[in-house]
Amino acid sequence: MHIMEGFLPAGHALAWTVVSAPFVVAGARRLKRMVAERPEARLTLAAAAGFTFVLSALKLPSVTGSCSHPTGTGLGAIQFGPPVMAVLGTLVLLFQALLLAHGGLTTLGANVFSMAVAGPWVAWMIWRLAERLGLPSAVGVFLAASLGDLATYGVTSVQLALAFPDAAGGFTGALVKFAGVFALTQVPLAVAEGLVTVVAMNALEERRLRAGI
Amino acid sequence: MTLFIDRLAQAGRWRRRATADKVVLALGLLLLAISLPPWPGAALVLAVAWGAALFGAGVPPGDWLRLNAAPLGFALTGAAALAVEWSDGGVHLAADHGVRAALVVLRTAAGASCLLLLAATTPTPDLLRGSRRVGLPAEIAEVALLTWRFLFLLLDAAAAIRAAQEARLGWQGWRRSLRSLGLLVAMLLPRAMERARRLEIGLAARGFNGSLPMLSPVRPVSPAFLVAALGGEAMVAGVSLWLS
Repeated sequence: MHIMEGFLPAGHALAWTVVSAPFVVAGARRLKRMVAERPEARLTLAAAAGFTFVLSALKLPSVTGSCSHPTGTGLGAIQFGPPVMAVLGTLVLLFQALLLAHGGLTTLGANVFSMAVAGPWVAWMIWRLAERLGLPSAVGVFLAASLGDLATYGVTSVQLALAFPDAAGGFTGALVKFAGVFALTQVPLAVAEGLVTVVAMNALEERRLRAGI
Repeated sequence: MTLFIDRLAQAGRWRRRATADKVVLALGLLLLAISLPPWPGAALVLAVAWGAALFGAGVPPGDWLRLNAAPLGFALTGAAALAVEWSDGGVHLAADHGVRAALVVLRTAAGASCLLLLAATTPTPDLLRGSRRVGLPAEIAEVALLTWRFLFLLLDAAAAIRAAQEARLGWQGWRRSLRSLGLLVAMLLPRAMERARRLEIGLAARGFNGSLPMLSPVRPVSPAFLVAALGGEAMVAGVSLWLS
């Protein structure tokens, strides 16, 4: 769920940029090391970022009738790992702002934190936890992708509630309002993305097995 | 395949204008939009950004309206939450009768117009090359430029897979659509990686050393444009602060 350009007041936009910066800088350093060791890795990284962008441009059938777009958070975190996703996610969010008018430049920091940091880390941790608990792979992938999506939506609601506290109910009242308004689209979206990611991971696994044979 | 905004930027009247000119105008207005009081600051920014896009850059009015409509969906949904208050265990119309919500929508519309002014007049590779000149690490800039090149190839591949699925009734009904989308994603990722691998082999055969130099024509900055942009921004800031 992208926060649109201009929606956040200047102070909040700046604060979220500062909060996201260490994750992006750490990811960028890792990426620079990878590229220094293997110059050809930049092609793989670019393909991965391009893939994540295209994923976000695809329409996802939603039960509420409206069409939404997958975030690719869960699949990206499982395939490439959360630190790399912080940089790739930032690039993808920048391209989405400039090419699709989704998100923005002043809200990039807030969007990076929710979609390229919080979402991928939650998805990755849930996926690893599910593996440790011995849950079936499909269940782990579904939980990782859908809860990663919900984490993104939860963090965005917190960001909006912090920026616009309710006059009577304060931060909590605002959080309930924002989470309630966006739940209509985001909860079905999270379920749908979880299912799509399971189908995608199963098909990728099948392909790997076939290639192995 | 092309993207709508990119097509406008590549074919627009300001295509050959220096990136710095457009960045000073659009980002300067954007900073004013989020830092000045929404009324009258954001309203003035909105008017200047629309004027610059329609009369300066010559963006067709229909295309410009279509671009601006997209971000308003989020703005209006978010504003709906701001127009109500949580009290006595229920939701009521806010005490300010929705004034705060209207001001946020105004600021979002102004901010989005500034972003669109930049995006619809400046192709993304120009912005990345400009960022490189002001300190973006070379490795990140190159990965970003390569990503930009991959986007269109992958969008083409995704469209082809989707057309094939639709021809086989793969997008009839919710369950089948979800399955088709999952299969599309699963087909696209190996294709993206395979394309990267083939490109890597091709480049290695040509002595790839990690850098992909590309033609980048130098476009001189226009002092008159910069003076007009900065003057206009100073006037917007001055009038806004005076009126508020």
